[in-house]
Amino acid sequence: MTMATQQGGGGGSSGLYDVLELVLDRGLVIDAFVRVSLVGIEILKIDIRVVVASVDTYLRFAEACNRLDLEAGPRKPAGLTELTGQLTESGARGKTKGALSGAAETISSAFQQAREEGREHQGDRRRGE
Amino acid sequence: MSTYVYGIIRAAHSPLGQDTDGIGDPPRPVRVLTRGELAAIVSDAPEELRPKRRDLLAHQRVLDEAAAGGVVLPMRFGSTSPDDDTVIRVLAERAEDFLERLRALDGKAEYNIKANHDEEAVLGLIMAGHDEIRSMAKANREAGGGTQEQKIRLGEMISAAVQAREATDAELLRQALEPMAEEVSAGPPSTGWLANLSFLVDRSSAELFLTRVREFRQEHPHLELRINGPLPPYSFVDTPSQQGEGGTSEAFGAAAAQPNG
Repeated sequence: MTMATQQGGGGGSSGLYDVLELVLDRGLVIDAFVRVSLVGIEILKIDIRVVVASVDTYLRFAEACNRLDLEAGPRKPAGLTELTGQLTESGARGKTKGALSGAAETISSAFQQAREEGREHQGDRRRGE
Repeated sequence: MSTYVYGIIRAAHSPLGQDTDGIGDPPRPVRVLTRGELAAIVSDAPEELRPKRRDLLAHQRVLDEAAAGGVVLPMRFGSTSPDDDTVIRVLAERAEDFLERLRALDGKAEYNIKANHDEEAVLGLIMAGHDEIRSMAKANREAGGGTQEQKIRLGEMISAAVQAREATDAELLRQALEPMAEEVSAGPPSTGWLANLSFLVDRSSAELFLTRVREFRQEHPHLELRINGPLPPYSFVDTPSQQGEGGTSEAFGAAAAQPNG
């Protein structure tokens, strides 16, 4: 679970991915100042809309549903307690799998890539190259 | 040499640490420009400024550090002034607005919560709650998975049910936590979360707020929550009339015309 409690300096980068959009989209804007161009970020957002509404998502849902049914059966949601256990153990990166998390995964890996580039040679944020 | 602006503080704010690194490579040292009761946290701007991860990090780190020493109005990433004098002029011209916001945000911090469904858990709930979906899934399975068309139809129904559930759960989350917060601000949509909410929380009630978050997690195990905070109040620097996509800078000018916001 991400329970980042950064106070003062020295806060790690854990959870930074989660606040990037606040740093980029929120905060005070003053018209006397110039703002940096954010073209790359817009592209990431458009990608996500496409992923969520695709036929591919429907097929993955259908398959996930079949799998689920075979394992647990429809009458008892017994799998839930087990899942709770998994939830409390999921780390800062979270679990990324399946159709629902597909979009998050896309953006997450893009940021991951950007992070690595940034660390080594300060590359620009790019994806899919 | 243009000036990069991180945030606005009171002139009486505790001094920042000696070695506060700003953006850029090598990192530009952070300094403070003071005018009257206000001050701006700035550094020299790098030659070429882009939204690079290390710079986003640096921006956030400087503001985090500043927020530990008192109330701060965080600038959006990438705000650059032609020079120091322009920053000082802005501090003078907009002093009333800045002081009003600093008063309003004093002793408060932002907590951002993003929620997602755990896919298997939510599918389990949907199968348990929708007879039609359950019987269609059964029929498909008995037909060895069903045709492509049947699969898509099933998936579409599940997808609609999941989306309805997303809306319900987002509202549940908001209702559960809103009473513990001074203000709530919905984050930018379409970033892959069913809910992306920022709460402005008084530091004295932060523990209560976090306790409520933990309770909510236990009550709704099919939701994955990611909470970040305390953060500088990025989502609450605008007065209510200024919130909204795109028009922030115009709105800022408009608000300057109102005597007391």
